[in-house]
Amino acid sequence: MAAGDAFSSAQRHEIDRAIRDAETLCRLEFSVFVGRCEGEARPFAERLHASLVAPSRSVLVLVDPASRLLEVVTGEDAHRVLDDSAVQLAVLTMQSAFAEGDLVGGITRGVHQLAEHARRPTTRHAG
Amino acid sequence: MTNRPSRPGLRRAVRALALTPALVLLGTAGTAAADAPDTWQTGPSVSGLHVILLLGGVPLALFVLITLLVYLPSMRHGDGHRPGEAWHGQSEWFGGPRGGLEAADRTTRHAVTAASGPRAEGVRAEQDTQVGPGGTSGRW
Repeated sequence: MAAGDAFSSAQRHEIDRAIRDAETLCRLEFSVFVGRCEGEARPFAERLHASLVAPSRSVLVLVDPASRLLEVVTGEDAHRVLDDSAVQLAVLTMQSAFAEGDLVGGITRGVHQLAEHARRPTTRHAG
Repeated sequence: MTNRPSRPGLRRAVRALALTPALVLLGTAGTAAADAPDTWQTGPSVSGLHVILLLGGVPLALFVLITLLVYLPSMRHGDGHRPGEAWHGQSEWFGGPRGGLEAADRTTRHAVTAASGPRAEGVRAEQDTQVGPGGTSGRW
């Protein structure tokens, strides 16, 4: 395989479809970056997130397979329906898939799980 | 009960009269016969095999060509990232901005800090004091 062809067209299609399905499910914007981080992972992920079209209602998943790093950034509006504990669960799902070497499966399952959690908004004025 | 035909013979005659033109036309029409116009040039005779090759072979060749054009790029690219394989590819951004990483590089620092800083809107600020940008990190 030539260098630079990280994913086959079928794998790209699979990830694109997972993103589309997630966006349909919860009305948030999803974005997945797979590649090397430039500098520190968290600031880099936040920089990518800020450059999205609608950062406040966007969820960015950053996967650095070379450094085995994973970052999820949620915008303000996204954070209201997707708290950090729910994000942590999705991160765990992705971590276990990545640890088995299943990059595409981890991404698709993680994105789907994030959307599933975002679909069930937390009650903010209970009690 | 008043709609019943009083004279069935008359109805039959009218029906026969209506059908007559069609029957006359059908009866008088002969078999269609026409020769090729004299001005047409007679070309060399074409064999059946040639016709089959032309009408079947050309579409088949086009079919094979289009199939190859569709599948060749993905065949050339291989199977992508295989499970357990070390990462060797370039960065890919799904659902990212049109400009890709270059667009992110143009994002100035104040945009990031504004996104993660406190909101300026007074009405919603009180409501959203607990909710800002979020997320989490992980390793594997």
